[in-house]
Amino acid sequence: MVRFQGVAMRYANGPEVLKDVTFHLEAGSYHFLTGPSGAGKSSLLRLMYLAHRASRGTVSVFGHDIANTPRRLLPGLRRRIGVVFQDFRLLDHLSARDNVALTLRIAGIREDTIRAHVAELLAWVGLGDKLDATPPTLSDGEKQRVAIARAVIGRPSLLLADEPTGSIDEHQGMRILRLFEELNRIGTTVVVATHDQRLIARFHHRVLRLADGQFTVERQSMGI
Amino acid sequence: MAARRYDLPFAEDGSGRFLPWMIALMVYLAALATVAALTTRAVAQRWNAGLEGTATVEVAPTGDAAATDAAVTQALAVLRNTPGVVAAQPVPKEEIDRLLEPWLGPDAAREGLPVPRLIDVRFTKGARVDVGALTRTLVTAVPTARFDSHSVWLERLQILGDSVQLAALLIVALIAAAAGATVVFATRAGLAVHREFIELMHLIGSRDSYIARQFQNHAMSLALRGGVLGVIAGALTIGALTVISRPIQSALLPDLAIGAAAIAVLALLPLLAAGIAMLTARITVLRALKQMT
Ligand SMILES: Nc1ncnc2c1ncn2[C@@H]1O[C@H](COP(=O)(O)OP(=O)(O)OP(=O)(O)O)[C@@H](O)[C@H]1O
Ligand SMILES: [Mg+2]
Repeated sequence: MVRFQGVAMRYANGPEVLKDVTFHLEAGSYHFLTGPSGAGKSSLLRLMYLAHRASRGTVSVFGHDIANTPRRLLPGLRRRIGVVFQDFRLLDHLSARDNVALTLRIAGIREDTIRAHVAELLAWVGLGDKLDATPPTLSDGEKQRVAIARAVIGRPSLLLADEPTGSIDEHQGMRILRLFEELNRIGTTVVVATHDQRLIARFHHRVLRLADGQFTVERQSMGI
Repeated sequence: MAARRYDLPFAEDGSGRFLPWMIALMVYLAALATVAALTTRAVAQRWNAGLEGTATVEVAPTGDAAATDAAVTQALAVLRNTPGVVAAQPVPKEEIDRLLEPWLGPDAAREGLPVPRLIDVRFTKGARVDVGALTRTLVTAVPTARFDSHSVWLERLQILGDSVQLAALLIVALIAAAAGATVVFATRAGLAVHREFIELMHLIGSRDSYIARQFQNHAMSLALRGGVLGVIAGALTIGALTVISRPIQSALLPDLAIGAAAIAVLALLPLLAAGIAMLTARITVLRALKQMT
């Protein structure tokens, strides 16, 4: 599904923020990605959702060596990846409904199908009464749930969530993570970046631990 | 269903504000150039139709009127015996007086000034008359006669008409190029403004063509609006010119009032502008996106 081999990454001409990262995510696996702030979690996810190229090593996603993948194939790969950005990255001028719908629209899904699915999912994340609200009028927690809805609406094969519960309360957070479990059960490969150790402890998943751009340990988390 | 035309917030960038006005101005100029060309063409055609197949024979006045009369009669006889000539009619004296009046004053004729006589000649439609031979025969019979087939004059008129049309075509082409350049700059500005959105669109798997469609549709709608405005302004200007020129129109100019062909061409201009804008925006965006990851 995702394979990193000796990967390094840097922003422009800055220092390497990831150094020699090697790992493999099997199809249908579920991983937490953790580490202190600035460790490189978001950067690692960026490589996985093809927003950035590795400066060294090979990144392969869905069996494609990204460095050698022609540009025209990237949209197809990206459509199979759902991303919850740490900073949400919603389009401020579009309603919650249209933000979520965008994923389906660019894939050419029929408008009536889109409407039904989007409304249902937004209701599920507790935003049934905010369908037409634009992001600037939403709270951070509400924005985060719109971002989550946008990431999962297309039933991605790979779900990358960067601090998906950072802005929402514990109850909503658990709900969201159970949604991810559900998706994982039907085959979605999941990576959740978080530094919430309590959250990690609640679920029995593998943990990738980053510190200063390198993995420290990779272990089965000890559930309570 | 709610009208959701674009995913990108075009309403908030500046390109929407100036592009329609630029296009309006360009379409306005193109409309004037086009009508100028069509009018010139109509003038040339009218003169051509009026003068083709005709000629004028001028008989110079000699000392006494009787001799001149005899020369005219002689010339008429030659002309009427020439194959291909349908009619040869002396222009009545009053007509000649009327033609000369503005130059010589109302009393010129009465004062017995020697005035040349004119003969209108009409040929059979399509007849190939040997003008050189006819001229020689005529001058042999009547040394005071001069033959004018109008061909030199018509030729010059034709050249003038062609030149004006060529100039108009060139102007319209230049305007089209300028419109294209304007759209390129507006689109580049839009790309810069919406860079973040474009990046997000890419990340969620949008193809370049989807993003390009947004820009091209937006540019097309702006250009169409500007084009309609420009062509309306052009039509008003031409209408005003028509009214102003009506008193002097009768003789020299054909009715400026635009014919069906001109109306069709004018109606096409905004569509042409919209088409150029759409295509230009599309190419600009696709090229720019190729540079992005
Ligand atoms: N756009 C950028 N340009 C330059 N440097 C960046 C950029 N984004 C991140 N960095 C740097 O890369 C390093 C890793 O950042 P990253 O965002 O991946 O950390 P993180 O583990 O996600 O942290 P957090 O838990 O705070 O989200 C940091 O040192 C950061 O300063
Ligand atoms: Mg981060």
